[in-house]
Amino acid sequence: MSANNKMVRLGCATGWSRDRFEPAADLIERGNLDYLCFDSMSEVTMSAAQVARMEHSDTAPYDPYLEMRLTPILKSAKERGVRIITNQGWLDPQAAARKVLEIAKSEGIRNLKVAAVGGALLDDRICDLGLRFVETGEAVADSRERIVSAEAYMGAQGIVQALRDGADVVITSRVADACVYLGPLAFELGWSFEDHHAMAKGMIIGHLMECGAQVSGGYFADPGYKDVPDLHNVGNPIAEVSDDSVTITKLEGTGGLVSEATCKEQLLYEVQDPGAYLCPDVIADLTRVSFRQAGKDRVEVLIDQAGRPRTNTLKALVGIQEGYMAEEMVLFAGPGAMARAQLTQEILKKRFEMNQLNASELRMDYVGLNGVHREASPRPVNDPYEVVLRIALKTQERHEADKLRKEVDPLAVNGVSGTGKWATSSPSARVRPVIGLYSTLVPRDLLVAEVQVLS
Amino acid sequence: MKTIALREIAHARSGEKGNDSNVSVIAYDMADYEVLCQQVTVQAVKALYGPITRGTIVRYEAPRIGALNFVLRDVLEGGRSRTLAFDESGKALSSLMLTLPVVVSDEYVIRSQRKDHERQ
Repeated sequence: MSANNKMVRLGCATGWSRDRFEPAADLIERGNLDYLCFDSMSEVTMSAAQVARMEHSDTAPYDPYLEMRLTPILKSAKERGVRIITNQGWLDPQAAARKVLEIAKSEGIRNLKVAAVGGALLDDRICDLGLRFVETGEAVADSRERIVSAEAYMGAQGIVQALRDGADVVITSRVADACVYLGPLAFELGWSFEDHHAMAKGMIIGHLMECGAQVSGGYFADPGYKDVPDLHNVGNPIAEVSDDSVTITKLEGTGGLVSEATCKEQLLYEVQDPGAYLCPDVIADLTRVSFRQAGKDRVEVLIDQAGRPRTNTLKALVGIQEGYMAEEMVLFAGPGAMARAQLTQEILKKRFEMNQLNASELRMDYVGLNGVHREASPRPVNDPYEVVLRIALKTQERHEADKLRKEVDPLAVNGVSGTGKWATSSPSARVRPVIGLYSTLVPRDLLVAEVQVLS
Repeated sequence: MKTIALREIAHARSGEKGNDSNVSVIAYDMADYEVLCQQVTVQAVKALYGPITRGTIVRYEAPRIGALNFVLRDVLEGGRSRTLAFDESGKALSSLMLTLPVVVSDEYVIRSQRKDHERQ
C-alpha cells in the first residue's frame, strides 16, 4: 500500500461527438464523481470542421453540440464539485470556453472558471518544418496548396496545468483521446510526467474509457453468443482509480454490462502493436494488462509496470483536399433482382465510357451481397430477394463527380424494369469534397500547450 | 475432431487507424487461447482478408487476456475520410474473422449450445 490512498472517480459522458446525451446528466446526478470527461473527436473531426467552416463561415469553430451537452449539467456539476474535462474545443478552445461562460451566465452559475487548452493547431507552419508524411514519404511542403488542417495529438500536460489553475471546466483542442482521463488522474494522484509507469497506467485507463459505452456493453452484443441486458439504456463507464487499484464499473440501474470480455475487447480496440501503444506522454505495453471480475458490473484492471519513455515526436494529422466523391444507390427486389442489378451495372459502365467519365476510382457493390466485406465476401448460395446496387466514385473535379447523378437519375425512365431509387431530392446531395488524412511526426519541442483560464 | 466456426470459441472487434484496420480475436475461455495461437495464423487470416488487404497482415499476441490482434495494412481503400468502401471505418470487418474454421475435439461444447448461465 502506498501512503496516498486517495480515490478518484471519473465518469465518461461521451465516446464521440454524436454520442447519446443522457449519460452525462445521469452520471452527474448519481455518479458521485470527481470528474466528468467528454471525448468528442475521431480522426476526421478537425478536417471535417475546417471544411464546414470553409463552406459555411458562420459555423462555430468548436463542437456544435457543446451548448446542448453542457447547458443541462453545468449548474449541478458546479454545485457538486464535479469538474468537466472535454476536447470539444476543436479548432478554437478559447471560443468554446467563452461560450461556456455565456452558458454559466444564463444559468446563473457563479464563479465558474473555464480553461481553454490550445497549442495543437499547426496550420501553415506544418509546411515549413521539413517534415515528410509517414504513409507516403512525400514532403509535407509539396501539399502546401491543398492542406486544410494540421494538428498534433497533444498530451495531458495542458489539462494538468488548467486543473492546477483551478478550472472547473477544461476545454481542449486535439489531445490524444485518453488524455482527458490521464490529465485529471495525474493531477489528483500527483503523478510525475517522468514516471512512465504511472503515465502508462493513466493512458490505459483512458483508453478503456475513451470510447464511452464500448467498455460497458455497448458495441458488444451478439445474440446467443454475447448477450447484453437493456442495451437501449446502456450505462457509460465509471473508473475508480487510486494508486493501488483500478476498477471499471457503471451506474446501478443502467443497461449494459462490465465484464472481463467487454474490457478485453476495448483494450485492443484500434490498437496496432499492443506491446507498444504510442501515446503523447508514454509508450504503453498493453500486454501487461489483465482483468478480474470483482462483482456485478465491476472489473478490476491489473496493470503491471507497463510504461516506456515517450518518443521525441508527436503525431500530427494533416488533412489534404483530394477532389470529390459521389455515391448513388439503385434498388431492386423480387424475381430476377440480381440479374436486373447486374444489367444496370453494365449499362452504367457503358454510359461512363460514352461520357468519358474521368474517375480516379470507381466502385460498384451489391449491398446485401458484398457491400460490406467487399471482395472478401463469400459467393451467394441463392439469388437474393433484394439487391441494392451502390455506385461510388472519386474525381478531381466536381463536374466529373456530377456525372454519376446525371447517369443514375435517368434510369427512372430508361433503366431496367422495377428500378427503384435511393431518395435523392436535393441537388448534389451525394457529392462531397474528399479530405485525405496523412500523418507526420513533429518534434515535441515545437508544440507547447497554451492554457488560458477565463472566468 | 470436428470443425467449427471461430465464433464458437472467440469474440472479435475491429477498428481503424488511418488506412489500416485491426481485428482482435479473444478467447471466451483462457483455455482456448492455445487453439487461437495454433490455428488463427497469419496464413489463415490471409485466406479471409487477402482479397481486400493491399498491404501486409501482422499478428500480435496478448497472452494475459487470451487474445490475438491482427493488423491489416491498407485495407480501407485509403482510410475513412476518402474511402469508397461502404463500411468506411472497417467497423464491420470483425464479423468476417468469426467465420474462420477451427478444429476442436469432438467433446468440445460450442458456445451457441451452452445455456445462458454457462455463457457468462
